[in-house]
Amino acid sequence: MRGAIIRTIFRKELLETLRDRRTLLMMIGLPVVLYPMMIIAVSWFQQSQAEKREERSSVVAVWGDIAQPLLEALKRSGKLTLRRWDTADAGLQAQLRDPASRPAPTIMAADGGRSRGSATEVENPVLAAARIAVTRRGVDAVLVLWPDLAQALEAEGLGSVSVYYDSIQPDSQLARERLLDALARFRAALVSAREREHELAPGFATAMNILSRNVASERRRGAEILGMLLPFILIVMSLLGGLYPAIDLTAGEKERGTMQTLMCAPVSAEEIILGKFLTVWTIALITALANIVSLAATLTRIVPGVNLSLPLSSYVLTFAMLVPVTFITSALFLAVAAFARDFKDGQNFLMPVYMVLAMPAVLTMLPGVQIGAVTAFVPIVNVALLIKAVLVSEAPADFVFLTLLSSAAYAGLAILLAARVFQQEQVLLGGRQSITYLLGLDRRPGRRPGPTLAIVSFAVILVAVFYGSVLLQRSGTVVTVLVTEYGFFLLPTLLFVAWFGFGWRDTLSLRMPPVRALVGSALVGLSAWTLAAGVLIRLLPPPDSLTRALEKLLLLDRTSVPLGVVWLVVAVTPAICEELYFRGFALTGLRRLGPAGAIVISALLFGLAHASIYRLLPTAVLGLLFGVAVWRTGAIACSILAHALNNGLIVTMIWAPQYFEWLGVGKGTFLPWTTTALGCAVAALGVMLILSVPQVRKGVGSN
Amino acid sequence: MLQAIHLSKSFGDVQAVIDLSLAVRPGQVVGLLGPNGAGKTTTLRMLAGILTPTSGRVLVGAVELARRPLEGKRRIGFLSGDTQLYQRLSPREMLQYFGRLYEVDPPRLARRIDELVAELDMTEFASRPCGTLSSGQKQRANIARAFLHQPDVLILDEPMAALDVVTGRFIAESIRRERAQGRAILFSTHVMGEAEYLCDRVTLLHRGRVVDAGTVEELLARSGCRNLTDAFLAHVGAAG
Repeated sequence: MRGAIIRTIFRKELLETLRDRRTLLMMIGLPVVLYPMMIIAVSWFQQSQAEKREERSSVVAVWGDIAQPLLEALKRSGKLTLRRWDTADAGLQAQLRDPASRPAPTIMAADGGRSRGSATEVENPVLAAARIAVTRRGVDAVLVLWPDLAQALEAEGLGSVSVYYDSIQPDSQLARERLLDALARFRAALVSAREREHELAPGFATAMNILSRNVASERRRGAEILGMLLPFILIVMSLLGGLYPAIDLTAGEKERGTMQTLMCAPVSAEEIILGKFLTVWTIALITALANIVSLAATLTRIVPGVNLSLPLSSYVLTFAMLVPVTFITSALFLAVAAFARDFKDGQNFLMPVYMVLAMPAVLTMLPGVQIGAVTAFVPIVNVALLIKAVLVSEAPADFVFLTLLSSAAYAGLAILLAARVFQQEQVLLGGRQSITYLLGLDRRPGRRPGPTLAIVSFAVILVAVFYGSVLLQRSGTVVTVLVTEYGFFLLPTLLFVAWFGFGWRDTLSLRMPPVRALVGSALVGLSAWTLAAGVLIRLLPPPDSLTRALEKLLLLDRTSVPLGVVWLVVAVTPAICEELYFRGFALTGLRRLGPAGAIVISALLFGLAHASIYRLLPTAVLGLLFGVAVWRTGAIACSILAHALNNGLIVTMIWAPQYFEWLGVGKGTFLPWTTTALGCAVAALGVMLILSVPQVRKGVGSN
Repeated sequence: MLQAIHLSKSFGDVQAVIDLSLAVRPGQVVGLLGPNGAGKTTTLRMLAGILTPTSGRVLVGAVELARRPLEGKRRIGFLSGDTQLYQRLSPREMLQYFGRLYEVDPPRLARRIDELVAELDMTEFASRPCGTLSSGQKQRANIARAFLHQPDVLILDEPMAALDVVTGRFIAESIRRERAQGRAILFSTHVMGEAEYLCDRVTLLHRGRVVDAGTVEELLARSGCRNLTDAFLAHVGAAG
């Protein structure tokens, strides 16, 4: 691939796209106009509604006999228009005047009525009549003064009043607030009059004032509001920015007949797709930036009375979060749009994709939905939730890592799919191609997997492991480890090989290794831990909680099982299951990238599968060593042996630390340098022994 | 020199081209003649490196196109009647773009563009967006693109389709000029008059197979007809 050619294609596509008024309008014009208009309109409307409502007097139907002092107290509020017995028919009036027939206002709320205002009564005639009055008869609220009230006021007893309102109507809500205020003031006056009457100390009856104050700062409250709205809006708008160019650069180009011209030039399909992808991505990023800038300017300058402005760093982080999202969607849009024969076809294809990608982001608008271990793996939604977390300054580092990790995996898949589509001449010239062929998922009996399938299978296994671990979280460690290893690593590996009809021996490197290579692998397995414990964890020390969790896992919840069983579960099982996938299926699939590319990428996948930023480096380095052994010998037994010895040794050290004190294990946070140097020397000797055997001819590296 | 050796192409169960062989020498114009659907466009696309043959080989000079596609494509200029231009670029910008894709040196590219603009009488519209050009002007810009990197081989797929007589003749003259400069030219048409006027040799294609090949005179002599159209119809009838 030539950078100059990709740049040439990118520049030309960008120039042509920027000359298109529709794209410019969508990219910059829409956000520049949309946010100020939207926010001005909403705030103007809200303000005028609030002012109108504030000015308007609330109409309250008063049912029941009202005592003069209470009547005066209600009138004093000045904003209540009282209508005696309004809308109450004769039967209801008679019922409310008869002390014997007073209905008990039974509360139905599950919390026993603790939640004031949201309680619901058991259905009764008064409630039904009040509902009709409030919803249909022009009354904002109904105040029911139960027959015992007047008597209670007179006799210094306890009387009841009920306020019926409709929580959906803002006018009714306001009427309720006004009524409750007026009633509270009346009650406070009544209580203090009674205290005076009985010569009781002020506050005797009230006992205490309950004050409730919001601790969230104004900025955080503003961020919370933005956190609910902003991710959704930004994602929807950024996606929209890339949508039109993706269609124009693929289906549009086919429709105009220029794709053929480009294909007869001396440029490769990869150069074309990269040039076009960079264009779509750039446009999507410019759109995202235009949206953020316009929104920031609007929020800082326009909204009166509410502090919705955020620090610059929040906007910068938000933009950074949109980088992977726009990457994924740009690649996906291009891949899908390439199937379309013309522009209209492209719109028909991409609109459903757009809806499916953007709509789940609506989840962020629900209060309480936050980023977690599961949501961090849902594409687009994870970034939307992370933007929400960034806005309220609560983005946990591990979830940022998981989100970026899963986004990178999805982005990789998307760009591979797009590249694959662009390699199909028939698709580019307006024909059709089967989707299984495009994905590289067609059956190829007797052959071996390719890089696409290696990456696709990794994504499948990664998703299966994570969702599986959610399902298994209540099971014990033994069950979790065994189900994860056999069910989510080994089983999919075997299914992939069987389904596609690949050769078992070649795909999974099922060969007998030379004894020298086995000895070398054993040395690597026995010493590789020193590299992790002595060097790598100094670079990124894991938190104590992770170390403890790992120890707990390795000791199978500290149950009293014999060491042999622990070895079987956490050393031998992962060694077989994980090696058959990573150094078997994946390494073979990646072989076309050359020894360095295949070994490094398979090791990186191995590290990523352990789903923690702290375990990434140590496991990836182990993966490198195991990868070298299998590449050289073409025998999976080498890496299985090394992996099992590595895990087994670590378990034994935790199981019986007293036998390892001479190595300095457990004496400090890190392994002493002497032990580290010794371990590294043994590992190097092991690698040299492995490399001393001749490169196997029909191994992973052969094509 | 352009050579097709036992080329075949299938799309699923449909065999578009079957065992086609032909050769175009430098300074020679070879016409690929056939009715619509005969497989002309598929053949030319394979020869231009846009489609991969199901079997057979294409040689551009000594370069095998399937093995070294970029090198092969660099020696080919391709033009088709239905090829469109980038609507929002001017012919000059488009030529600069393709010049860079063909990796022509910038100073040589600038000179070459000026040369072509003058030669093909494009001065008046060279800086206007291609979307505003007439079909004749567009085809001239297209010819300029195909000739830009001075390729050894020109592959022209019905280059005069849907053009008026004046532009058609202008293009025919351009083809003759390129032949005089020693280029190997393969062009397809279903208009027999064009072939008679331009071609040194003719290959008749019907239902994906070559039914006859030779000079116009040889074809007429073999068929006993007085013109290429009758000769072609005789072949088509014989082929069923």
